[in-house]
Amino acid sequence: MSGFAGPAPVIRLDRVTKVFDGSGRPTTAVRDVSLEARPGEMVLLLGPSGSGKTTLLTLIAGLAKPTAGSISLFGKSVGDYSTTELQSLRADRIGFIFQTFLLIDSLTAAENIEIVLRFSGRRRAERAGKTRALLRGLGIEHLADRFPRVMSQGEKQRVAIARAISNDAELLIADEPTGSLETRQAVGIIGLLHEQAERRKATVIVASHDLRLMEFADRTLRLKDGMME
Amino acid sequence: MYAIRTLRSQPLRLALTVGGIALCIVLMFFLLAVYRGVADGSVDYIRQNVADLWVLQQNATNILRGSSLLSEGQIDAIALTPGVRTAAPVLFLLSAIRKGDKVGTIFLTGFDPVLGLGGPPQLVRGRRPGADDEIVLDRSFARKFGFEAGQDVDLQGRRLKIVGISCGTNAFVIQYAFVTLRFARDLIGIPGLATCVLVNADPGAGLGPVREKILGRSPGLEAYDQATFLANNVREMRSGFLPLLYTVAVIGAIVLTAILSLLLSVNILERRKDFAILKTLGSPMAFLWGLVVKQAVLIASASCAAALAAFFPLVRVIERLSPEVSTKSTPGQIGGVMAAVLVMSLASSLVAIRRLRRIYFLEAFS
Repeated sequence: MSGFAGPAPVIRLDRVTKVFDGSGRPTTAVRDVSLEARPGEMVLLLGPSGSGKTTLLTLIAGLAKPTAGSISLFGKSVGDYSTTELQSLRADRIGFIFQTFLLIDSLTAAENIEIVLRFSGRRRAERAGKTRALLRGLGIEHLADRFPRVMSQGEKQRVAIARAISNDAELLIADEPTGSLETRQAVGIIGLLHEQAERRKATVIVASHDLRLMEFADRTLRLKDGMME
Repeated sequence: MYAIRTLRSQPLRLALTVGGIALCIVLMFFLLAVYRGVADGSVDYIRQNVADLWVLQQNATNILRGSSLLSEGQIDAIALTPGVRTAAPVLFLLSAIRKGDKVGTIFLTGFDPVLGLGGPPQLVRGRRPGADDEIVLDRSFARKFGFEAGQDVDLQGRRLKIVGISCGTNAFVIQYAFVTLRFARDLIGIPGLATCVLVNADPGAGLGPVREKILGRSPGLEAYDQATFLANNVREMRSGFLPLLYTVAVIGAIVLTAILSLLLSVNILERRKDFAILKTLGSPMAFLWGLVVKQAVLIASASCAAALAAFFPLVRVIERLSPEVSTKSTPGQIGGVMAAVLVMSLASSLVAIRRLRRIYFLEAFS
């Protein structure tokens, strides 16, 4: 458990286990993991490929149900949220960043951001203004009308971050956010995430095998074979 | 924007889909137009020859698919019935007109040129036949065989001059031709015979009493008022054509729905990662359904526009190649088909939407 002092935790996992029952051969992806993260905290889940980092992230975000243990999100057990409430949480309070950015290819950078703002019920004018402000804030205003296929990896990840924070997410979940980037770009991206924790008091959970990220994290939790070391 | 962009990202596939669906729509437009053309064309003769009563042999309810023969005595009895102002006998025969090595079957209609009733309902050229060596041909028939007013034709070894071209006389499977009653009777060699008699009553005589008197004087006959006889003939035409037209139209609709469902499903399968991302980012299911429905409606609208653009020129070509194909399109028909296509596009999107449920969040992370 965390020794980080401050407000109530945004997420709390208590002895969480996740078993996948693939073709009758159960695989334990996460075993007996407990953790907490509070607002303004950046937690790094460090572990090699296949250590259960991504599964843990999906559990934290309420995208998958634990086989055992309990998960609390924003002070309420994930099991107590309805499907619609979980969808609203993801639209309004959680932001996602993926290793391969996962921008929608057929939409421009601005549209990739705007489409998420629609999910949180923002009006057209508000969406447009917010999108412009985000792109400007991240120094990528010039990418607004470009499609992902003509962007560099670093540009794509910046757009993905803009998308993730567009709803003023209180919880940012990043799965290998620097995995496809060279060092200079990786440092820039992780700096941006750290800024979200520090300036906006967002809770940032980063899953990675990249040791370079340790110096930016408030806490580093090591995962191996689905277990916390 | 996503719905449109996704469709536009595969222009060839979109063009083929829109083309395929447009052809199905054209098929439905065409079938309805043929139906309307046949239904109207085959009864225009009756509609235009307004008589108070159509008298036929009992059990013959219509002229195209019924057999009726009235003797000279019966015709005279009808004409002499109190309250009958005019009684115009008409004789229908199936006959053939020759032109070189081409033979065309016609529905030869012999009518009394003096009484006038029973003749061609509308002339597009020339005049009605007045003499026994004159004939009026249906426009489609004349076009098909290259006949023109003023030419001579051979009908069962007799020479007739084409004095007019009529319209509203194309019953699709056969076309009307008009000659004098005397010529028609002479052709079959039985004098005084008729298929039916068109009766007009004296003003104030009352249709019901006149009908009763005719039937009382001539047993074995039946007399229909204009509306009933018209309805009988329309019903006959519909019973012959509708099942076939409906079957082909339903096949067209099924093909259309299948093409659209297939395209939408393929789109979803190809973009399943996009949908998984959108789900993960908090998209309500209604938004994703909306994308699919929007795509279906966009494709259906584009197909309707393409079908409309192609239909009328295509009909002109078909009517030129096969003049006996008579079509008639109304805004109601066109609107009805387009509304049906819209409904089918919604049905297709429902089929495709089922696939969305089987896209999981975790696919965004894989």
